[in-house]
Amino acid sequence: MRVCVLYSGGKDSNLAFLKAYNSGLKIACLISLIPSSEESVLFHYPNMNMVKLQAQALGLPLICEECPNDEEGSIKALFEVLKRAKEEYSVEGVVTGAIRSIYQASRFQRVCWKLKLWCFNPLWLKDEISLLNEIINYEFEVIFTRVAGYPLKKSLLGRRITKEVVNYLSKIKNFVNPSGEGGEYETLVLDMPLFRKRIEIIKYEIIGEDYDATLLIKEAKLVEK
Amino acid sequence: MILVISTCKLKFSEEEFVKPIISIIEKVGYDYEVVRYNEAFSLQKYSRVIICSTALMDIDYLRHVKNFNVLLQYRGKVLGICAGYQILALLYGNKLDRIQKIGLYKVNVIRENPLVSKGEFYAYFLHTLALRKVNEKLIPLAIQDDEICMFKVRGKEFYGVSFHPEVLNENIVMNFLRY
Repeated sequence: MRVCVLYSGGKDSNLAFLKAYNSGLKIACLISLIPSSEESVLFHYPNMNMVKLQAQALGLPLICEECPNDEEGSIKALFEVLKRAKEEYSVEGVVTGAIRSIYQASRFQRVCWKLKLWCFNPLWLKDEISLLNEIINYEFEVIFTRVAGYPLKKSLLGRRITKEVVNYLSKIKNFVNPSGEGGEYETLVLDMPLFRKRIEIIKYEIIGEDYDATLLIKEAKLVEK
Repeated sequence: MILVISTCKLKFSEEEFVKPIISIIEKVGYDYEVVRYNEAFSLQKYSRVIICSTALMDIDYLRHVKNFNVLLQYRGKVLGICAGYQILALLYGNKLDRIQKIGLYKVNVIRENPLVSKGEFYAYFLHTLALRKVNEKLIPLAIQDDEICMFKVRGKEFYGVSFHPEVLNENIVMNFLRY
């Protein structure tokens, strides 16, 4: 079956991508919706411009559209891009990185049903710490690009997700969902097993303070692995 | 020993519809085996059977309902979730209605049962087929709007739930495993 992947460039959509690939699904294209600000109710915000480099690293076409922040606008935009993926790339299904968010999952399911597309959520209800360990075992190179809540400090930005970081997230799980699915933190994948090249960050800027800060990538390029 | 029956046409869907059920069984500490809806299976060594759900676009299991006739003679306990609820309903001669329900909805439990107390709770629904009415072989246990979202098969310890208890109501699956 030909599928597209809802792709934010973070750890969850990349892990969902890898699982779909390993299961034998044929991934035809990536779909990214770029919200106009971090207030988006459905999609990730910081560094969405990096998905273009990631699509190049994966050797896949990317359908990338801007979308409004409100729910109605986001869903309409999602419908339009998936319709385009169905028409242009003959996809029959969509893969998402939803883990536990009923809000996200039910909206994705409704849009898929309307378009008669299969909806696959391979991370659904999985233990968040196990998923983080999986990305380490697969040797993903993932960095924090946003923190948005106590006790996540600004110093985490740019830091790679390692076993030590997973232990830390496990210890603070009463404060922060370890997967960051509620927007407590955002990540960017610089490398993973299916990337032909890895992303190297050349210039960046950190804005904000502890518990509410963002790493903005100003310049990046693909380099040999 | 628990028998878990997958209704997923595509193995990849099992990540989302079968693995979460297995995770609950593991938490409770029971052994289990998994078979697929289109394989032949016998029930002798199992005390309980859970028929799991599948993706919205997947209706292949409806072509294999006869494969579940073996349940009619079974004396153990059965829990049918979503697709499993539909299979039990069809097995006992009911007709499914087109009811699309995706998301969080309030369930009203109207009869005492071993899986969940009487009263209201929220559950996650993901289906396009369910029951508005049942024949004399099924006893309605809970409703959601005009849908009978939970039933018991008369004279059997077979239960059907049209929602997904693994998402927000793990206790229903745990109660089924323990009672």
